[in-house]
Formats: sequence, C-alpha cells, structure tokens
Amino acid sequence: MSQTPATTPAQERRKLVIKPLSKGDKWFFRSTSIAAHFAFVLVALILGFLLWKSWPVIQGQGFDFVIGSTWDADSDPAVFQLGPMLWGSILIAIVGIFIATPMALSMAYLIVFMLPSRLAKIATTLVDLLAALPSVVLGLWGLLVFTPVASHWAEVLNSYLGWIPIFGVADAENGFMRSPFIAGWIVAVMIVPIITSVTREIFSQMDRDLINGALALGGSRLSTFRRVIMPTSSGGVIGGVLLGLGRAIGETVAIFYVLNLSFDINWGALLEPQGGAVASWILARFGEANGEEKDGLMAAGLVLFIVTLIINYIANVIVNRAQPWRKN
Amino acid sequence: MSSTLRPAVQPWRRANFKRQFEIILAVLIPLPLTMLFALLSNFDANLALIAVFLPLQLIAAGLVGLRAYGKRGIGDAALVVVTIFFSTFVLVLLLSVLFSVIVEGGRAISWQFFSQNNVYVSPTTSLEYGGVGHAILGTLMVVGLTTLAAVPLGIAMAVYLTQSQSKTRNLVRTFTQALSGLPSVVSGLFILTIIEATQMGRSGFTGSLALFPLMLPTVARVAEEALRLVPVDLRYAALALGAPNYRAFFQVILPAAKSGLMTALLLGLARVVGETAPLILTMNPSSSTSLNPFDGGMTTLPTYVYNYLASSYQTSQARAWGAALVLLMLVGVLFGLARILSKSKTTKKKASK
Repeated sequence: MSQTPATTPAQERRKLVIKPLSKGDKWFFRSTSIAAHFAFVLVALILGFLLWKSWPVIQGQGFDFVIGSTWDADSDPAVFQLGPMLWGSILIAIVGIFIATPMALSMAYLIVFMLPSRLAKIATTLVDLLAALPSVVLGLWGLLVFTPVASHWAEVLNSYLGWIPIFGVADAENGFMRSPFIAGWIVAVMIVPIITSVTREIFSQMDRDLINGALALGGSRLSTFRRVIMPTSSGGVIGGVLLGLGRAIGETVAIFYVLNLSFDINWGALLEPQGGAVASWILARFGEANGEEKDGLMAAGLVLFIVTLIINYIANVIVNRAQPWRKN
Repeated sequence: MSSTLRPAVQPWRRANFKRQFEIILAVLIPLPLTMLFALLSNFDANLALIAVFLPLQLIAAGLVGLRAYGKRGIGDAALVVVTIFFSTFVLVLLLSVLFSVIVEGGRAISWQFFSQNNVYVSPTTSLEYGGVGHAILGTLMVVGLTTLAAVPLGIAMAVYLTQSQSKTRNLVRTFTQALSGLPSVVSGLFILTIIEATQMGRSGFTGSLALFPLMLPTVARVAEEALRLVPVDLRYAALALGAPNYRAFFQVILPAAKSGLMTALLLGLARVVGETAPLILTMNPSSSTSLNPFDGGMTTLPTYVYNYLASSYQTSQARAWGAALVLLMLVGVLFGLARILSKSKTTKKKASK
C-alpha cells in the first residue's frame, strides 16, 4: 500500500473567539450586556415591589392565604384568602387544555403532514391571526356571541351526561351561563395557537427519513403517527401545552366577562355558574379596594406571578430540549 | 403466472376514477343525511353534529379506506376525519370571532366614529355622535412611548444573545422567556406599586410603563431569531477586513437583518396594542382628547371597549363593538405588514440559492 498513515489527526474545527478590538467595541459589548441583564433587573424589581407591598398580608394570613376561602375586607381584622380563585384558575386552565390540545394537535398535523404547501401557509397565517386577537375582543365575543351558544352546549351536556359529577348542576334553572366550562372554552381559543405553533414547528423539523422509513416498511398513516411522530415529538408537545397552561392561568379580561367569580369553592362542577380566576379577581376588586385590600390583591398578583414563572420555566426547559436546532 | 398475483397496493399511484368517486361520495353523503335526520326527528342540531355526523363520516371514510387499503385503511381514514373535524372547528371559532366583530362593529363605524371623541356622549346618545378618535390617539401615544423604550432595549438584548460570547447568555435567555410569561395584570400591579411609592400621577405614561415588560420579551425573542438568520460568515468577513465589532454590526449585520427586526417591532406592537388589564390599573379613563401623555387621563381602544361593555345599554355595546373592530383593524395592519416583511425575506433567500 502506497498510502501513508496520517500523522496528524484531522484538525478540529476551531471556534472563533470574538474579542473586543477597540474602545468603541468595549462600549458596544458593555451596553448590550447592560441591556441584556436588564431582564434580571426587571424580574427582580417585579418580585421585589410586589413582595414589599404584600408582605403585611402574607405575614398576617400565613399559608392560609393560598388555601383558605374567605375574602372579607370589612371584618376586623380583614381576612384575605385566595383559595377558591387559585383553584378556579387551575380548573379553567385544565378545561382549556383539555379542549385546546386535540384541536391544536389536529391543526398542526393537518398543516405539516396533510395540506399542500400553499394551503398550509394559509392555515398557518390563520392560526397566527388567532394568536393576535386581543383578549378584550375575545371577551366581547365570549360575552355577547359565544356564551348563548356554549350555554346551550352545556345544557345538552348536562341533560345527557348529568350523572357524571363534573357535568352535574345543583339547579338546572340557573341557565348554564358564566360557568368554568364557558371560561375554559374562551381560554382554549386563546391557547390553541400557542400549542399549535410549538407543535407545528416540532413536527416540521422532524427527520423526514424516519417517517419515510416507517412508510416504506408498510406503516400506515395512523401507525406512523402513533409509533413514529408522537414518540419523537411528545416532549415538545407537552412543553407547548405547558406554555398554554401558563397563558391560561394569567388570562384576565376575557375570563372576567364570562365567569361568575365566587368564593364558594367550586371543586369541579364545570357547568355550575360559579368559579374563580386570580387575575380576573384582581381586576374585579381593584376599583373599590381600600389600602389593606389593595395589599391583598398585590399578594394575589405575587402568587399568580410565581405560579406562572414556575410553569413557564418548566415549559421552556422542555421546549428548548425538544428543539435542539435552536441552540447557539 | 402473473395473473395469479394480487396487484400490490401502490400508494404512489393517483387514485383511479372509481376510488375518487367513492371518496367524493364519502365526503358528500354524511352531512345532508345528518341535516335531514336533525330536521325530521327534531334532534338538537349541535348534538347531531357530534353524535350523528361524526360517526357517519367515520363509517363512510372507514369504508372507503377499507376498500382501498384493507384493514389498515380504516385507521388512516379515522385519523384524517378526526384531524379535519377538529381543525375545521378551530377555523369556525376564528371565523365566528372575525365575522361577529366585523358585522356588529360595522354598524357603529362611520367617519365621525374615527374622528370624534366622547365628551358629549351619554349612554343613551345615538351612534351618530361621538367616536373613538381620542382612543385611537391614546393607543398610538401609549404604545408609541412603550415602543421607544422596548424596541432598542429588546434589540440590544438580541445583539447580546447572538453577537457576544459571554457565559451568561443562557441565563439571560431563560429570564427573557420567564418575562414573556408574565401575566399582564401582574405587570399592571407592578407599575401601580411604583406609582404609589413615587406619588407620580396616573397618566398615559404610567400606562406605557405597564406595557413595557410585556413588549420587551417579544421584541427580544423575534429580534434574536432575525439576527440569527444572518450568515455568520458575513460577520467574520467584516471582522477579517479589520472592522471592529460595532461597525460589523451596524454596517453589515443590521442592514442584512433589517426586515427581520422590523418584524420584531411589529409583532411587539401587536402584542401590546390589545392589552387591557394593565392599562385599567394604571391609567384613568378620559372621554376627551388628550395629547399630553404625561399628565391627566387617557383612553386607549382596549380600555374603551372595556368601559363601554360594562354598560348594558344597546348603544354602548354597539360602541364597544365598533372600537373592537377598529382595534382589530389596527392589529390586522400590523400583522399584515409583519407577514409581508418576513415573506420578502424568505423569497430573497430562495432566489439567492
């Protein structure tokens, strides 16, 4: 053999290190760095100011603030307990997720795997348009257009499936309006585009060879979906759902219109016209709150912020892990 | 010999006429059948859609699938039917929102609805008087002030995330993502504590402060993606020619990413232009035109909708619909511009390949 063995290993690709070259450069990097670290400052400021304002209430109520179910600013001492609102927010978000996830998954599957590219572009635009709808417009639509329709659905649901506890109501004469069911639908309309866009991106970045391989081995559309597409992209889908959950828990105005806020805790009777939502409660009480109750609402805001921070953090970790092509 | 072999399934072949006919039948038959059933039996129409139409459609599609591909065709057909059913539902919801806003809002819209303010409007004033002129101006000023601060800062963040090689980049990205999940009402509460601590009066400016934490992460995220699309070789070339980093950025990368950064601006605007809750907490409503965002009350389109929807008068609700339509038009314009800009970028990229 005439080939000589390689004496040097293939040169590793060197990562270029970019250093500031001049004084102007130093200022350039320094100012962008200050701007970037403003993100920390902002989060810290929000947490700090809310904690500062709400400290008396949190100290006074202790852990009962998040689990108790009385809100009375006039009693002495005033009692602020957020339990029903917090549980209501979670309940509505769960209902919204249950409604939105099948729709969003279908939409993403349709866009990526079924439609020809021109129609897929139109469908993508429509979903993005749905994401751009202001929540006050959705609230308006929810109150004046959707509530009559959805209360009819609720009535039908109750008359056929009323024996299941979550679809039962104490009194069918109440009219099925302003229930967590309807609020959940409104929230679902808001989070469908969030889940769709994450899922769509993950579907479209999937390795086409995997899918083609499955089809070449005689797989059908369904088996490819169940055995190839879902297992490889389920992480990202779960992340997208969690992002939607974060949005659903923070939603304010639209829920404010379509839900009857009540401090009688509603554990899961979805069609009962009473429920809760922390953000909407803040909005509802704010106009008439006195000093002490304002602090209570600040504490509610703090709890809301911490809950959404945690959910969003987990969601982003999952989504980022599922989208390795976005790394540096 | 070859005649005894069964022809293999050939999915790449176009369906023949018979198959196409079957598909058309499967698409066309179930819906009229359901409608007929609902009419004759006085069955609830909404329920019939789920309990009669969906099973019928599944059976029809399943039969076609069975004839075309054998047993596994049934599952495929079910997947297709369910996917299209749910997607159509999303589409119906979206169209319902757009349609009702356009129809109901269209009744309130006229020229003076854009140009007049609401000083002389009471709940019973007819729709020929008053309008959202002051709210449009208020929206532009409040959102404009936010933009002045949020866009440069957001782009600077994106520059840091893409151009520098510091170790804290991932942490900054995590915090930016955390900020993007900030509930809007919490942002309002935050500014409110600042207002109370500094004894500053509520004005349009405090409203735009409350929008700032909401706009910043959107701008930063989209701008980061725009900057990332610029080929890194361009930058290395500029550096190799002796340009310092800041000139490489301002003279090479910035022009290349211009349309993407415009998209970041527009998507940031679209994010905050419809925000309601933070503005209700931090601004006093006003029914007159105010041109000074640093003093006195100010109304924006979303808070206008909010205030008028609270009333049960017919004309007030009509005004709310009208303002919602104006708001939606504004969002639509921003959104359309963003689309056009990002589209021109991708076509250019294709052309250069």
